[in-house]
Amino acid sequence: MDIFANLAHGFAVALSPINLLMCLIGALVGTLVGVLPGIGTIATVAMLLPITFGLPPVGALIMLAGIYYGAQYGGSTTSILVNIPGEATSVVTAIDGHQMAKQGRAGPALAIAAIGSFFAGCVATVLIALLGAPLTKLALAFGPAEYFSLMVLGLIFAVVLAKGSVLKAIAMIVFGLLLSMVGSDIETGASRMAFNIPELADGLGFATVAMGVFGFAEIIRNLDHGAEMNRDLVQQKITGLMPTRKDLADSTPAILRGTVLGSILGILPGGGAVIASFAAYTLEKKLAKNPSRFGRGAIEGVAGPESANNAAAQTSFIPLLTLGIPPNAVMALMVGAMTIHGIVPGPQVMQKQPDLVWGMIASMWIGNLMLIIINLPLVGIWVRLLRVPYRLMFPSIVIFCAIGIYSVNNAPVDVILAGIFGLVGYWLIKHDFEPAPLLLGMVLGPLMEENLRRALLISRGDWSVFLTRPLSAVLLAVAASLLVLTVLPVLRAKRDEVFTESEN
Amino acid sequence: MADTMGHSATATRNTRLALGFCLLAIAPQIIELIWSLGTIPGWGAGRGPGTVVTSHMTALLAGAPSAIFGSFGGGTKKLSSEVLLALIYSYPLFVLAILTFFMPIRSAQDYVGGVVVMAVALFALWAGSDLQGMRGFSFGAGTAPRMFGGLLVALSAGIALTGLLTDGPALAHYSWRGPLFVMAAILFFALAIRPLGLVVTAFASFMIAVTGSHETRWLEAAIVGACLTLGCAILFPYVLGLPMPMFPRFLIQ
Repeated sequence: MDIFANLAHGFAVALSPINLLMCLIGALVGTLVGVLPGIGTIATVAMLLPITFGLPPVGALIMLAGIYYGAQYGGSTTSILVNIPGEATSVVTAIDGHQMAKQGRAGPALAIAAIGSFFAGCVATVLIALLGAPLTKLALAFGPAEYFSLMVLGLIFAVVLAKGSVLKAIAMIVFGLLLSMVGSDIETGASRMAFNIPELADGLGFATVAMGVFGFAEIIRNLDHGAEMNRDLVQQKITGLMPTRKDLADSTPAILRGTVLGSILGILPGGGAVIASFAAYTLEKKLAKNPSRFGRGAIEGVAGPESANNAAAQTSFIPLLTLGIPPNAVMALMVGAMTIHGIVPGPQVMQKQPDLVWGMIASMWIGNLMLIIINLPLVGIWVRLLRVPYRLMFPSIVIFCAIGIYSVNNAPVDVILAGIFGLVGYWLIKHDFEPAPLLLGMVLGPLMEENLRRALLISRGDWSVFLTRPLSAVLLAVAASLLVLTVLPVLRAKRDEVFTESEN
Repeated sequence: MADTMGHSATATRNTRLALGFCLLAIAPQIIELIWSLGTIPGWGAGRGPGTVVTSHMTALLAGAPSAIFGSFGGGTKKLSSEVLLALIYSYPLFVLAILTFFMPIRSAQDYVGGVVVMAVALFALWAGSDLQGMRGFSFGAGTAPRMFGGLLVALSAGIALTGLLTDGPALAHYSWRGPLFVMAAILFFALAIRPLGLVVTAFASFMIAVTGSHETRWLEAAIVGACLTLGCAILFPYVLGLPMPMFPRFLIQ
């Protein structure tokens, strides 16, 4: 019962009034900043990092955890309300969440996102406490070949979640992979496809491309003739802030499945949380009796990925606390904050500073609780934002996005690039290509290339390594069967279409 | 809706599409030419417009054909980047444009989508052509871009084929007002934020963006724009502590 004693100790630390206040302030500020369109989780945490410098270490980390959860939830809010995902994990939330908002059900979507996140956070907290150390061994079993196969699987998830043609979705993924190649090569340092533009040397930023193909493109498309009708409808039919009993019944299993998936995938460093939310969406779509509802405002499509995302965000602390490996950019910022306070994350932290580790684990749970306390009342305010006439809303979003992108690197070129990607996104919408697979390809591209190179280097150029290593083979087999499962109904539908048309 | 477009329209459509693809085939060259115009007043470094035109013209008309025939003769001379651009990017697209002229297109949306994505892939192949390939077992910098570029060419060919073989929607209608003014606002923001500061830039960009919608009420927009500017001016530099110029540089000095 060592663990429960530890957990109790953690709660004793986290529940002190000062730390509770830190957590509350962190979650509140994180939500308020994260909700601004154009400012994602990474940007929020980076911006607010300095305000924690003056605090004692435990308080600072608790506040940072609060900021992180707040920012993440704020990001989901923007993707639901205005279809601008600030980070890779909320791309999936935008798909069905924004459709729900368009149908006047933004309130239930926001509430379910908060409830799902809270539940997933609770479970993941217990998981961290119970399984932290053993689960890390799973991550260690993953070599480069396994990671490559996992990335392939993750990319196939993106194909499944697309609404339209499979071929187009795969093309978008590969386009995203190509975009991720822009910039310096990780191994040789050679400048690739950067055309001597210094701002491209570091590669295209995720925020830049995401703001472009989602944010700006959506705005431009909404300004089209004929789109006005739809918008006015959205503003009139906002009904009910809280989810109905049916919504809750529909989303409960999705939340449970999302939590399990997210907790497992979150432990894997690199893209774990991203793959988790895409995987949860795919799972829900595959299990649903009527998959055609997805992409048109299915509440499971919000509940599953949001819980998976939060569970993964939570469990991604495991590699950080046990191995000292930051699994994503936000965690890397956390490591930065820890080192500023003189803490070196890694295996020793658990023994040397139990106050800190267990206090932080407990504060994650409290952070999630704060989030639901802050956000359920705020849902009404966020939804009211949708009532702002679009002719005033869209220029404001443009300005916020522009300032947000500029502030990431203080680079005007980034703003222009985002604008260009806005036009690209508009063109993609007009030709029925979906931007979500493109973004996933862009996020996973560098990891995929790195692991592919490493795996082939270790196997001395032998491609069969991906099939001879059991874990990798299983992952690839799952990916292949998913792809077949996705293509089959499409082919069948095509045939049906041909038949119905020939009847006419 | 596709029925009302009628088959009579297909002929003119195809000519326009073919011409469009021809333009797409020399788009990088044109962009470099426009870029090079900047060297006349002395902005930026690079080749002058004269050199750009002659080098690309010779590459397109003489260099590339001779390279093709030269390769049959077994010549392995190092090709210049203009010749490579013509070979890898422009020629395949010219061929496609000619094919388009004769093909009955059943879904313009898919066909054009496929061809344009293929153009992007070909361009990426050219952009990565100077990078090193495989060295024994180890990947060079250019291996992965070439792999994915090749894959994308194949996939986009598949999409274009779908557009030829199955019925589907025609080209969607594009509007120009929204994209134009939103882009103008973004461009203005990017160019003005450093010299003019946040206050002027945010307000001016807001007013440019507002023009993109035809439901605009000017007074209302100006008031909201002013409030938003004030809010941003307080929020970003002071509350969030982002280093950002506030006022025009010439006023401060």
